[in-house]
Amino acid sequence: MATEGLKKEIKILIMEALNIDDVSPEEVGDDESLFGEGNTLGLDSIDALEIVMALQEKYGVRIDDKNQSRFILKSISTIAEFIEKNRTN
Amino acid sequence: MTFQHKMAAHCESGTVAALLNHAGLSISEPLVFGISAGIFFGYFESKKFPFPTFVVRNRPGQIRTGVARRTGVRFKERRFRNPEKGERVLDDLLSGGKPVACQTDFFYMKYLPDHVRVHINVHFITVVEKRGDVYVVSDCYSPNLAELDRESLMKARFAGGSFSPRGFIFHPVSIPRRIDYRTAIWKGIASAAFNMVRLPIPFIGVKGIRLFAKKVVDWPSLARDIDHLSHEIMKINIFLEDQGTGGAGFRFMYATFLREASELLNDPDLLEMSKRIMEIGDRWREISLFAARIGKRRDLGPDRLGELSAMIYERADAEERFFNDLLKLSKSKK
Repeated sequence: MATEGLKKEIKILIMEALNIDDVSPEEVGDDESLFGEGNTLGLDSIDALEIVMALQEKYGVRIDDKNQSRFILKSISTIAEFIEKNRTN
Repeated sequence: MTFQHKMAAHCESGTVAALLNHAGLSISEPLVFGISAGIFFGYFESKKFPFPTFVVRNRPGQIRTGVARRTGVRFKERRFRNPEKGERVLDDLLSGGKPVACQTDFFYMKYLPDHVRVHINVHFITVVEKRGDVYVVSDCYSPNLAELDRESLMKARFAGGSFSPRGFIFHPVSIPRRIDYRTAIWKGIASAAFNMVRLPIPFIGVKGIRLFAKKVVDWPSLARDIDHLSHEIMKINIFLEDQGTGGAGFRFMYATFLREASELLNDPDLLEMSKRIMEIGDRWREISLFAARIGKRRDLGPDRLGELSAMIYERADAEERFFNDLLKLSKSKK
């Protein structure tokens, strides 16, 4: 189970990477879908690539392609679980 | 034997790997890709195309033929002028318990979300069995086995347009008892490196990357308007990251191939080369993101396109060094 601290850290990282300043990290649910309209963040595929690169830089985790990223980037919880398993930094 | 469905990065290398594994040969998708010399670059400008375009992998079909040539695996391949015959032959093979790869128009793969389905005639799937009027399909882009109705599969197999599939099917018919992986891997590497740095064609390989870098600054004069230009610039991201490239225009898959080859042949030089192409891929990914960002913002003035061009020139230099070293290495390991 990923820690609350890590989840908050990921939320902040995403906000910074995408220059989102009109949503606070607390507003994003851990299990909420990150992509598509109607969700708090409503991200798109370009945002996904930004997140992939930010995660690689901060945690040393690689997400090479969409088959992986569409499962890993489902929610903050799935990202946190992936990082806990694979982090090198 | 039950067919083991697995997702894969790319439909053609994934389908070939899945069929070979089903036939008893344990081989990964990156090994299939690397042995077949799948990695590539080509920049194309022609009156046939509405806009300049580029490719990052070798031509369709070459993954299957390259693997067959270098490993000794044999495939049976057929195309059909008559759709009814094409259907009958597929159904006969399936009733004999043989999974069969089919070339299709991606648009008719109804089990995938509507927004990803476009007309592309070179999508490969494995048809696993037929249940009544429904086919069970293993598609590398679907998380599970999927079902496709007979009408959709027929439309997909016999779609018109460029690269029309004409019902093309293939399946492995013989697997050699022993495969000389050392020779197969090095031949695949030498062929890919030759295509990238030695082929005397101005729009292929590293020369093609340089041509892309040179020409991209002229794209505004070819576009109808800013929306069109933005669309074409954002397609750079799609060609590199979407469309089953495994990320960074197949460069990450090639890195995985070199790492697996290094383990298989116990060769640390290949591991070093794997790390280098992984880094090259990371910089291609920066190009993807840069193109997507400036395209989305419509920030497409000469300065921005100049920056994009410089990034692409830099990739050409890096790939020239990499593939020259790889070619030298392949000669020394013969």
